[in-house]
Amino acid sequence: MDATTALTGLILTPLVASPLVYLFGRLAARAGAPRNPARWLALVVLAAALAFLFPAGQAVLNGSAVEVVDGAIALRMDGIGLLLAAAVLVLGLLVTLFSSPYMAGEEGEEKFYALLVMMCGTMVGLGCASDLFNLWIWFEAMAVSSYMLVAFYRQQGASLEAGVKYLVQSAAGSALVLLGIALVFSQSGTTSLAAIRAGAAAGSGPVLMAAGALFLIGFGVKTALVPMHTWLPDAHSQAPSGISAMLSGVVIEAGLVALLRAVGALAGVSTSWGLLLMVFGAMNILLGNLMALRQKQVKRMLAYSSLSHVGYMLIGLGVTVGFQLAQGAAGGFFHLLVHVLMKGLAFLAAGTLLYALHLAQGSHHPLVADDLNGAARRYPFIALVFSLALLSLGGLPPLAGFMSKWQIFVAGVQTHNMAVIVLVVFAALNSVLSLGYYAPLINRMYRKEIGPVVEMGKPVPVVMAVPLALLALALVAAGFYPALFGWLVNPAAASLLVAFGG
Amino acid sequence: MTLNITNVAVLVVLGLFATGFYGLLAVRNLIKVVVALQILVKGAMVALVAAGNLTGQLQAAQSMALTVIVADTIVAVVALALAVQVRRCIGTLDIKALTSLKR
Repeated sequence: MDATTALTGLILTPLVASPLVYLFGRLAARAGAPRNPARWLALVVLAAALAFLFPAGQAVLNGSAVEVVDGAIALRMDGIGLLLAAAVLVLGLLVTLFSSPYMAGEEGEEKFYALLVMMCGTMVGLGCASDLFNLWIWFEAMAVSSYMLVAFYRQQGASLEAGVKYLVQSAAGSALVLLGIALVFSQSGTTSLAAIRAGAAAGSGPVLMAAGALFLIGFGVKTALVPMHTWLPDAHSQAPSGISAMLSGVVIEAGLVALLRAVGALAGVSTSWGLLLMVFGAMNILLGNLMALRQKQVKRMLAYSSLSHVGYMLIGLGVTVGFQLAQGAAGGFFHLLVHVLMKGLAFLAAGTLLYALHLAQGSHHPLVADDLNGAARRYPFIALVFSLALLSLGGLPPLAGFMSKWQIFVAGVQTHNMAVIVLVVFAALNSVLSLGYYAPLINRMYRKEIGPVVEMGKPVPVVMAVPLALLALALVAAGFYPALFGWLVNPAAASLLVAFGG
Repeated sequence: MTLNITNVAVLVVLGLFATGFYGLLAVRNLIKVVVALQILVKGAMVALVAAGNLTGQLQAAQSMALTVIVADTIVAVVALALAVQVRRCIGTLDIKALTSLKR
């Protein structure tokens, strides 16, 4: 199979299959199938997409971006697109597997799988968009499918509230992006990212600057840059746990990729944009940490910790945008991948405990920190992988979270710019601060007396433990052997430099 | 400032965005919030078409605007479906009632 066919297949498979998953699941539910087979179809679809990714990815790794252009639809898979597609499909597969017992028996289960497949497909498309307007369409399609997944428990007031907040903020953001696209179009007369890049090199006027600011605000809502982050803790804590893992692991990172692509076409390598991204990163780190410190609900705390991890990525990427050092983006993208693993693992492990302690008993209580008391006695495996994820999030060596943060900090110091070095030291201190909320959870699981909630807990289905084991394995492997993902990360960093015209 | 079509379009866009953001900030009824979001996107669409007119790419801009209408309608449908569900479960469309989740 040649690479262009593979890319077409990769994009089309989830999009075409998503309605079929719904129809199939609906018919099976009508016929009274006890365990809805839509989950297996979703699993097969995502696996098929992953199979298409191999030939397409091979071509990208050999150094030539794969392009498909059909009329106004322009797709171009480079290193960044490959990285995002790989992260989305792998996490999507694991989440589908995890959700199979988690969502079993929920009303409208087939919709969950159809929307999950759709969301994965649109994110792969988003990573490959080579046209500004296409980028917006993919972004909007991804947002629509995620709105419905966030408000999936539609009988719960809290989850509806989270869905409404998310929808209003995100839709206002995408209107601003659209206005930014109009501004760019009025200057360059084209929406192709490469053509805009070529035209903007002549000198970016005030109109393009305004467009860049609109992109920063609009895509920043989805990326949860600090003043635009208020939807995130609600949405992440109220969504079904598998979706929390997807939102935190890949959706906000997809927003980040969209932001980099759009800004990259306008700005080029410039110290001011790099520093701007880094300052946003520092604000994210600080606010994420401070807010996470005062959370009692486990999933809400993890949501705030996502804020601070986006901040680390921004610092790494800002080094490349501002100073043309590929190591920064390599560290940033490595942290993105590691974040997929560790935050995916943390949300899925928290979800497993939520399922065993509350959901399986028919209650929609949130999982609070007190519920975890003594969890290690009853659920030793879940407690172990959860602790691994938390320690890695806190950046303890030799876990992967330490390796990626280290790469970012080293790259920051290599810029020999005083402002950047101050920011890096600030981020490193914050990384220590973050242990202040990760460590007490581990303490509760291992050292507290077994609590009444754990006493009453139900057993954990084996199918749920499989994705946890795989993620934990990858996390430890990437920690001991950080070059494991180099083949994926370095092309992405090179592509970022190309996107910014370096 | 002369009264040519581009300047009129700029004024219309600014007016629509101002109305939309005022609505988002001041209105308490969820349905009206959805209307405010629609007004915002309509403003962006006018800007898109005006940009096409300015650069002589009117057809491309119009086809983009049509696509935006489709995408935007889907968002509106999802938002209204959420509003229906909010009314059913919480019993009111007042967005001040949607504050159970603390910071």
